[in-house]
Amino acid sequence: MMSHSSLHAHGRDVFGLCCLPGECVLQRAVLVRKKLSAKEGGGWLSGTLFCTHFRVAFVPQDSQKPDDNADPVLLGDHDVALASIDKVVAVGPSRTKLVTPTCSLKFTPEELVLYCRDLRVLCFLFDRLTPDTQALEITYTIAKTYQPLKPGTILSFQNAALGSIEMKQFLSNRWHDPNMNWFECSMGWEQELERTGASGWRVSSVNDRFEMSTSLPRFSVVPQRVLDTELKKTFAHFNEGRIPRWCWRHPHGSDLLRMASFQNNIYHEKDDIRNLESVLFGGQQLCVIVDLGEEMPSPADIQLAHTRLRTLCLGDISSSVSVPDDKWLSTLESTRWLDYTRCCLRKAAEVACLLGGGHMTVVLQEPEDRDMNCVVCGLVQVMCDPHCRTVPGFQGLVQKEWITAGHKFLSRINYHRESDKEEAPVFLLFLDCVWQLWAQYPTRFQLTEDYLLALHDSVHLPLFSSFLANSQRERCRRSQHLPQSYTPVNGLRELPKGAPEEPVDPPFPPVWDWALQYSSLRRSRFTQPVSQPACPPPVLNGNLNTNQDHGWPNDGLPGSVFLLSRGTFSHPSNLLPWRSGNSGSYWKSHRRAPSSESLSGLERLIRACSLSEPSENPSTLHDPYEPLLPLLLGPCVRVWRACYLRGALHAQAFSHPASSCSQHPLDQLAWEVQQLREKVAQASHRHPENQTKRQEPLRLESNLNQNANNGTFLFSSSSRTSQQQPSSRGAAHSSVIPKAQRTASDPPRPVQRNNGKHTFLFGHQQEPQSGLRYIPSPSAKLHKRPGNSY
Amino acid sequence: MLSLGSGGAKSTKPSFVSYVTPEEIKSEKDPSKQEKHPDLLPGEVEFCSANPILKYTQDDLSQRGVFGTLFCTNFRVTFISDERPLEKKAKTFKNKLYGENDIPLMCVDHIYGVYEEKRKPITGALVKNKNPSKMIIHCKDLRVFQFCLTYSKEEDARKIFQGIAHHCLEEKSLKCVFAFSYMGTPSPSPEMPRKQETIMFDSPEDWTREMKRTKANCRLVIENENFELSQRLPKYFVIPLAIGDLFSYQGKGLPIWCWSHYSGCALFKASFLPVTQEDGDFQKHLDTMINAVAHNHLYSVKTEDLSESLPNIQDIQQSYNKFKQFFLIENSTDFWLSDVKWFSSIESSGWLDIIRQCLQKAVEVVECLEKDNTNVLITEEEGTDLCCVISSLAQIMLDPYYRTLMGFQSLVQKEWVAGCHAFLDRCNRLHLKDKECHSPVFLLFLECVWQLVQQHSPAFQFSETYLTVLSDSVHVPIFSTFLFNSAHHRENIMKAESPLAQSGPLSCPTVWDWSVQFDSKAQNFFFNPLYLEKVKHDRAVRKPHKPKHQRHLSLPSSAFKTPLKKGFFKDEADSLKKMLRVKRLSRWRGSPDAPAATTREFYESWQNRPLDYHGLLLPYLDGPAVRVWMQRYLRWIPEVYILGGGSMAVMTKLMELQNQVQDLKRALEQRDPSQAAELDHRPYLQQRLLSFDSSGRLSSSFPFAYTRSRNFKPSIPIALMQSLMLTDSLACQEDEASSVVSFV
Repeated sequence: MMSHSSLHAHGRDVFGLCCLPGECVLQRAVLVRKKLSAKEGGGWLSGTLFCTHFRVAFVPQDSQKPDDNADPVLLGDHDVALASIDKVVAVGPSRTKLVTPTCSLKFTPEELVLYCRDLRVLCFLFDRLTPDTQALEITYTIAKTYQPLKPGTILSFQNAALGSIEMKQFLSNRWHDPNMNWFECSMGWEQELERTGASGWRVSSVNDRFEMSTSLPRFSVVPQRVLDTELKKTFAHFNEGRIPRWCWRHPHGSDLLRMASFQNNIYHEKDDIRNLESVLFGGQQLCVIVDLGEEMPSPADIQLAHTRLRTLCLGDISSSVSVPDDKWLSTLESTRWLDYTRCCLRKAAEVACLLGGGHMTVVLQEPEDRDMNCVVCGLVQVMCDPHCRTVPGFQGLVQKEWITAGHKFLSRINYHRESDKEEAPVFLLFLDCVWQLWAQYPTRFQLTEDYLLALHDSVHLPLFSSFLANSQRERCRRSQHLPQSYTPVNGLRELPKGAPEEPVDPPFPPVWDWALQYSSLRRSRFTQPVSQPACPPPVLNGNLNTNQDHGWPNDGLPGSVFLLSRGTFSHPSNLLPWRSGNSGSYWKSHRRAPSSESLSGLERLIRACSLSEPSENPSTLHDPYEPLLPLLLGPCVRVWRACYLRGALHAQAFSHPASSCSQHPLDQLAWEVQQLREKVAQASHRHPENQTKRQEPLRLESNLNQNANNGTFLFSSSSRTSQQQPSSRGAAHSSVIPKAQRTASDPPRPVQRNNGKHTFLFGHQQEPQSGLRYIPSPSAKLHKRPGNSY
Repeated sequence: MLSLGSGGAKSTKPSFVSYVTPEEIKSEKDPSKQEKHPDLLPGEVEFCSANPILKYTQDDLSQRGVFGTLFCTNFRVTFISDERPLEKKAKTFKNKLYGENDIPLMCVDHIYGVYEEKRKPITGALVKNKNPSKMIIHCKDLRVFQFCLTYSKEEDARKIFQGIAHHCLEEKSLKCVFAFSYMGTPSPSPEMPRKQETIMFDSPEDWTREMKRTKANCRLVIENENFELSQRLPKYFVIPLAIGDLFSYQGKGLPIWCWSHYSGCALFKASFLPVTQEDGDFQKHLDTMINAVAHNHLYSVKTEDLSESLPNIQDIQQSYNKFKQFFLIENSTDFWLSDVKWFSSIESSGWLDIIRQCLQKAVEVVECLEKDNTNVLITEEEGTDLCCVISSLAQIMLDPYYRTLMGFQSLVQKEWVAGCHAFLDRCNRLHLKDKECHSPVFLLFLECVWQLVQQHSPAFQFSETYLTVLSDSVHVPIFSTFLFNSAHHRENIMKAESPLAQSGPLSCPTVWDWSVQFDSKAQNFFFNPLYLEKVKHDRAVRKPHKPKHQRHLSLPSSAFKTPLKKGFFKDEADSLKKMLRVKRLSRWRGSPDAPAATTREFYESWQNRPLDYHGLLLPYLDGPAVRVWMQRYLRWIPEVYILGGGSMAVMTKLMELQNQVQDLKRALEQRDPSQAAELDHRPYLQQRLLSFDSSGRLSSSFPFAYTRSRNFKPSIPIALMQSLMLTDSLACQEDEASSVVSFV
């Protein structure tokens, strides 16, 4: 971090509100109480309410004085950006009124309710002692300055947040998180190839200047044997030039690809055909094309379902009408949102099973290759790849399959209200699907619901480069960043310093810079209290394929292609346009018919995958790559309450209880362990002779645990708990209480920092020190023995 | 194979291919047949048996099954497989009384026979007809068994079928219930020490203690010790101090004390018959009773006629019948089909709505006690059905003691067992023809409690597994707890039976003696690892409200749907008003939606306080909050098992963690008892749950599902399965092509 000193002066403190550089407070109301959700502890919090031209901020009464040296934070824990406000409602003594920029109130509001686009509902209560004018004025101010659905206003909002020179400077000096793969340079892709152990593929920069396809990223992964010159000829054969590109390799040796539909009215030269075939097959002999065009919901369907779901969950705000409780379930069914979730998960599960067979390419095909392909491709990887269930891994996945792959975020989210027809929350559907997986297998994820929720909310904030463009090309243009000056050394974004005058847009940060939005306390909740996932080493050439014989006929001839559509395998003659009809001379000359051997093999494969009993087979029991196959029956697919129902009209829903693994009991237990450890340590310090006696049972137990928990994330070793500070998420506690305890037992010591990594509750085996939040007293050191003994 | 129609009916042509004819099996199995006998419980007698019987595995489309012997005893229907169990893993959660292939006779809900592809419910008349080819048994704990009778000898099959039908479905006398045989055996399983902690409420001391605990200012009635007052009243009960004359009207309308709020107001229940205007005397009697209740605290009372505002017991029964059909799955095809309209079909049964209504009513009662500090009198014709539900729920919401395991058991004992809920009639133990009085009222109560447990899990010491087991135990005919209609009934029967057992006073195990069913390891699952113990300084958080010193008279408002035609409540109100000279509370007079609004107000004020798990606890009642009790209803359906997932995965890990805490505590105790004492507030789990680790991955229906019978179904739903079958044929068609290719 370079020039922080210049920023310090600008973290201005206005009436206790730490403003962003350039931010002005428009209105302020004192003695306001904010309603807290159950997750925040319920009840009310009193403080001061501010309205700036960027956000509605709430500063609790007894909040600590902001640290002047701290980095500017866009939004505090209790703040909401004006752009994410959807509706403003004032509640008077006997009535409620929807406040619009033009209307005037005939009563003094007692309560101010802000309905947000991300389905949050914030409720502020004015005290009797709040001056009436303040209450009125702040309501008016918010109503006037929040973003009405008008094109163009978004820019002023962005400028308010990020437009100041200090902010620009600050943002330009932010580092990209080096822990995640950004897929913005060829290095990223090469790393991914290496991580997954894929061979026979290379990174091609043929689209470096977006000349071949405007919507594709600058780099794509193609088979090694296809030269760039050959590759260039294939672009024309696909819609928008979106050729088959490698996405991921299954450890069993199959490759996952995605592409747009074929251009049919084009002549296939013989050379072209060869190139097309090799692009499609990679090094494999079998190719299954999964058609995502027809049975999946269209963007319009998704939009409609989401609108309905929203109405169901929030009620009709203007008329305060909500669905009667006894009709809730059938109304939920009729939104069809859950059906679409199921549909995506089902498709992804099919593909995941298919990939498990090894030695084939599975190509996802969608006419545009920019919506459902993103969803399914992402889900397959979340299901199959434990890495994608960690925060950095998931962020990499979204970078890879959504952001750089050219999902039309800008049109789909419709920030500017210019593309109403194209608006569709496809990405939110994806997040919901991931949540369903998380809800069914919470222990196999490192990321948490809080993380998904944060991402969900960020989508509604038009400040992030990740979501403010339709393709990588637009993104690159916006950042005034010429491709040739790009230095793919360490993924650093180099903004030309000192020349920020011409761009109209402020530099947008990526959404992954969570520190801009969330306090460290809330960020610590993004991960489970788990160990670092023990990622199995990549397997080259699918050596892990211990499965049945999958010696697909390998005779050097073009392989067979099948279509998986509507759950059926088939081999339509016109599947590959160049193989069909009159242009099929090439095909005929080789006298290859689709091998039904392969067909039955495929079918066996899916059946084997779906019918096998994993727990019966010890070898697969803890296979970390065993896909998480979601259950999709009615009772298993659920509503993401923490997201959709957190602001439900019904007052009760304000405090929906947290889900089964709610945090505080866990924290509490962990605390208890910690406390006891310390007490035992103290006690044993006094009676050291007891020491060895007491170690025995623990060691035994921890070994057992370790054996059993190889492949799972949560609590990967309960014995480690003992040595760890309970929780990084409970940072509030840990900052206070351990100190007290420490001073009681031994002199305070500096908290050990672990170079920028997250700390987890139950740290991992190899680095006993990395997760430690405190240095154990000499006596406690003795307790490490069981941990170190294996 | 993949018949998509109503699968159960189309099963006469099973695709199961038996490579041996039944005769062969017979001769093969004969020598070993002698060994195959169920391990009988003391007092259990075998009636009949048949071999070989094919038991279909429920979850398979292909009608596969296991051969074995079917027995019928005086306790259960049991199936013993011919196959030697492969080195049986010790199950963590094993019921000692009955296993996975046993059905206690009382647990049988319906029996269906399949005659020529048609499924017919078996009644007495049909038994005489010819044998069905297949017998389907629906259990009350929602298991489904299918037995194929065609492989065994005609007469054997007839005998077993008729035997089972007879013992399960025919009307019988209470004496035939297994509990009496079980009890009568000379050595009932070793020493059943009654759990000291569960208060049985069968002695005056128990009641006095409870009154002292809640600081009630009431009068204990012991005059009914020999049921001279009324046979429908408990042996001992507590009434308001102001009641003098006990002996009129056989205790009808007598307000029975349930619980006292710390402010002094109390909850009473009574059986009130609907009264006609002419019946002046009785009317007066009731007035006196209500006045007596009002005298208890601050001269305020609120009466609530539950039969007016809640569905009656027949509605409950009907709704539950509809509801449970969605979970009684005979084959997976049915289940896949029901999936299409899952939410709307669940909703149409109305069961969830009944749960919501009960909780809502309980919240209203809680509101009166907590906020208005008025006495509440809930009434009902019998005073032992919905009164029990509502009063128990209100007590759970108000009193953290009842959220502990022992407290909950005491509550059931107090309100339900001592409170004379007619378990025998409601559960249809004796298969009486009179359908009027069957109703799953107790189950409804457990359902409501489950809603509370899942919404506020840290507040409850017991787990949902405990509730599920309790709901199953109702149908195990061994426990005295659920066997009788009233205290008088119990006393009578027990007295009549006692000469048989020479050893002094008869004691049949109560259900609370969990060691009869589960070993201590399994009992650990009853405890909620997330339970938040009470910490001492907690008290300061919620100071008791100052009792309001204004006098209330809350009239039964229109929300409570007391129609004027009854005339009853109106008069009561008037007389009270005259007598007590108090004002009506304005808000109860308001528009019809006023009560809803005040309840909502009450809710909000509750929500505005920080959530205290040891204080008042209210359920959430909106649409998405009331949910299906997944564990109970879905535990036998393999399609919905989440392997290695679900909340159970997290739960078991937490239990492990908790075990560790205990280890540490013990260690600490050894070293430094003074420090340990202040920490020790968690219930002590008897044994460590090491078996978690050995059992590998758990499914979401753990601990109920049996891994052995689990058959992992495709997560890819039916469309794909179908297509696989299609491709099968496709592959056949293309055989020729492939033969060419294979040479290449």
